[in-house]
Amino acid sequence: MYNAIVIGARCAGAAVGTHLARQGLRVLVVDRSRFPSDVLSTHFIWPHGASYLNRLGVLDQVRAVTPAHTRVTVVNNGIALRGGIPEELLRNQFRLLHDDDSGITTEYFSVRRHVLDGMLVDNAVRAGVEFREGYTVKELLRDEDGTVVGIKGRDGTVEHAQVVIGADGRNSFVARALGIAKSDERPRCTYAYWSYFSGIPDCEAQIHRQGRLGMAMASTNHGQTMVLTWGPSEWAAGFRADVEGNFHRALGLISEEAADTVARARREERFYGTLDQAAFLRRLHGPGWLLVGDAGSFKDQCTALGITHALRDAELAAEAVGRWLGGETDRDTAMAGYAAKRRSQTAAAYYDYVCTLAEMKPLRHDELQLFAILRGNQAEIDRFIATHVDVAPVSEFFDPSNVFLLNDTAKESSRDHGAFADFEATYREHQRNPFLRVGAEVAR
Amino acid sequence: MTGTPVREREDGEVVASLIAAADAAGTDPVTAAKAVAAAAREVSDMLRNWATHIPWEDLEELDARAEDEVVRFFGEDFPAIRADLEPMWEPATTSAPAIDPDEDYALDKNAYDFFRPVGTNLLDRTEEFHGWVEARRRTETWQYSRLLEAAPGGVATITNDLSKPARGINFNSQDYLSFNAHPEVREAAVRAMRDFGPHSAGSPMVLGNTRISDELEAALGALVGLEHVTLFSNGWSAGFGAVTGLVRQEDHVLIDRLAHSCLQTGARAATRNITRYTHLDVEAVRGHLARIRATDTHNGIMVITDGLFSVDADWPDVAALQEVCHAHDATLLVDVAHDLGSMGPGGTGVLGMQDMLGKVDLVMGAFSKTFASNGGFVATKSPAVKQYVKMFAASHFFSNALSPMQTAVVLKAAQIIRTDEGDALRGRLFSAIHALRDELTTRGLTCMGSPSPIVPVLIGNEKLARTVNRLLFDRGVLAFMVEFPVTPTGASRFRLQVQAAHEPEQAREAARIIDGALRDAREYLSSAFGNSF
Repeated sequence: MYNAIVIGARCAGAAVGTHLARQGLRVLVVDRSRFPSDVLSTHFIWPHGASYLNRLGVLDQVRAVTPAHTRVTVVNNGIALRGGIPEELLRNQFRLLHDDDSGITTEYFSVRRHVLDGMLVDNAVRAGVEFREGYTVKELLRDEDGTVVGIKGRDGTVEHAQVVIGADGRNSFVARALGIAKSDERPRCTYAYWSYFSGIPDCEAQIHRQGRLGMAMASTNHGQTMVLTWGPSEWAAGFRADVEGNFHRALGLISEEAADTVARARREERFYGTLDQAAFLRRLHGPGWLLVGDAGSFKDQCTALGITHALRDAELAAEAVGRWLGGETDRDTAMAGYAAKRRSQTAAAYYDYVCTLAEMKPLRHDELQLFAILRGNQAEIDRFIATHVDVAPVSEFFDPSNVFLLNDTAKESSRDHGAFADFEATYREHQRNPFLRVGAEVAR
Repeated sequence: MTGTPVREREDGEVVASLIAAADAAGTDPVTAAKAVAAAAREVSDMLRNWATHIPWEDLEELDARAEDEVVRFFGEDFPAIRADLEPMWEPATTSAPAIDPDEDYALDKNAYDFFRPVGTNLLDRTEEFHGWVEARRRTETWQYSRLLEAAPGGVATITNDLSKPARGINFNSQDYLSFNAHPEVREAAVRAMRDFGPHSAGSPMVLGNTRISDELEAALGALVGLEHVTLFSNGWSAGFGAVTGLVRQEDHVLIDRLAHSCLQTGARAATRNITRYTHLDVEAVRGHLARIRATDTHNGIMVITDGLFSVDADWPDVAALQEVCHAHDATLLVDVAHDLGSMGPGGTGVLGMQDMLGKVDLVMGAFSKTFASNGGFVATKSPAVKQYVKMFAASHFFSNALSPMQTAVVLKAAQIIRTDEGDALRGRLFSAIHALRDELTTRGLTCMGSPSPIVPVLIGNEKLARTVNRLLFDRGVLAFMVEFPVTPTGASRFRLQVQAAHEPEQAREAARIIDGALRDAREYLSSAFGNSF
């Protein structure tokens, strides 16, 4: 009999297992994979994610093999903003969510999952977690009231626990087995294609938007750079017709400089891609079970927050389970507390923010103006970036008193930016699918 | 170009070949099984571990199975696997239910999306915003510009801007002590009308004021404990005038980030040296003041806050703010528009509740919430400040004075506020407030702030709030939904403004109806989000 069984041993699962084991609980973590193991992921970790890794005790290990930076450049139709996440905002966020702001770092990095996930699993085992890899769960065991009481493996083994935690990702077995419906579904999302390149020097991450296309470059492990491009999922079919050609074509449309850098680099792996990115929420807990990470809430890759949020959820869930099993409060109160933090208005506003961004509509005149007037106002650039990655609440940046003040105290005007020349014609052009056009030309 | 070509195919291509091979299984199952197994083995670890719902092991082992087993697999097992594989390569929008584009547009955008329009023609470039307003109107999610068909009492009959009628318990009007229907208040208006006519016929700096104006200034001075009072023709211009009349370009403004629009706009008009501080945070103010005074000892600093915040229903520690201002040679301005008259001992508002009457540098207010009229005022201890504001607040100097009727109404209201009747009205008002908050909270809704005539019910998400707004209109509760530019994005809410005329049972009934509308709206949008921060 375990206190908790965790299904899934990646970011959310290994982390929640570690936190629970450190509370002295008896924890079994299982995963169908054998580690080290890879998984589709943008594997970008923002400073709050890095801080969570620090709190787990694996940051130094990750950093030893992964380049890190504190400043990032975000370019929208050529308007560049460079900034980082202020420590003060990070501290606020951790105090608000966890009543504890220890282990904060302002560094971010991009770490391959075959590097990170193995470290997280080893760390969990060191914390006292019992771990079984290559273990597929076939069935959830329930008592006569429907309460989940354990698992049955494909190998026939049966294990019991006070709570079963689904940390098994977007296509969660636990959620499917329990028949938990999706809500707040947002079908409009992005496709993303990426690969790994050598020959690009380590540098700060850059994230570009141009019309309906996006691109990011981030240094990662093995001296390589991840280059990722994305766009609206309704353009994916055209893109897929020639992944390599369109990958470079997209980079060229977004940033000639970046395209040039990548063209001179050497691709080290195949292209990876997905458009399985539609956002959703699921109910987070019920009798004998709860969900953490992507299993309970999935968002598009475009702000690269999956890992960071999984690590956050793991801490929140472990706090709640700890309060319950430690006798501090009853199960339902503890679980409701977990759900309340995951489903707060701040979380709702951020969910909306990402889902709107994921539609990849061409940048409107208003949005571009906002980027232009932010330039030269470093404190607000930093706050915007912090808002963009869910460190500061959306409601604090997009507050009327702030938006109007930014406008009235702007240091730069739109005259300095080409994006505003012949704006309407460019905007119309941005609505057209460039990959279809290429396809049509090829056909002719 | 790229260096050594990497031979492995991208997963989309591999999965397409897997599906194509399986689809051809009818003619030659053994060959199909080999092709499917080979494709499954070629799928990247990345995809395999992402698509955990696909039985990759079964697919990989297919070529090792007996032919009859393979045939059974393709016939019985594969269709479900195919149904899970295919959507991963199709845009989710293809299978999503069609959406009404009007509704989508109406629920999606925010007013700030239209703040910086494109184009050289100032008139033409308003069209895009208008298109959005029209979408909001067509989908009945536009909460603005409704019309009263009769006096705005505890119950009201209104029409929306599509001429659609509604009658309901009215939390959509601001008349906290129900003075609009008070016989003596109405009589005061009639008397002033008879004595002076409907028009003041000039700026208060010229000949716009009457003897009633003087009496009103004295009454207001007594109410806030600051004898030098200047009247403004509306509350907004009082706030704007108080800031722009006194603050100059090199001065500094520290302003609560949620302070009223008239103060924010006044601050931006007066100076670029503006710091928005964390809502109600006196320590933040202390820090900012110390930082400013460390480098600037010769310019002024105005610290600005609301008394009762108009969409948050909370208030600052005015005593602490005033103290920290004095310690740094800064001036405090408090806007008591919503609390003066409606709460506090003898109707003295937040200042009276904190024993701060007569102790605040500058107080401004508006008559439109409790005093049954347009208009506003600025009060100070100093005759010099009064004369300066009258001269340099353009919204005072260059604006026609309050009408004699308005002045008389406000004076009568100010007199009743200080009587036992005033106490009784506030007692009735707070009975309804407590009933409303109690019923809402019991039902799990979030009432922000503290008991006051403003009861903000937090919704958060704009889509949800607009949908609730549509449902509520037909259900017998009139309530104003506030969103950007009244509240920050993602923090929309219903602002219920209670009146002394509301019966506690009416308030409870309204709470039940709001709860029902919120539940239905959440179901309509299939939303799992709660309504607490």
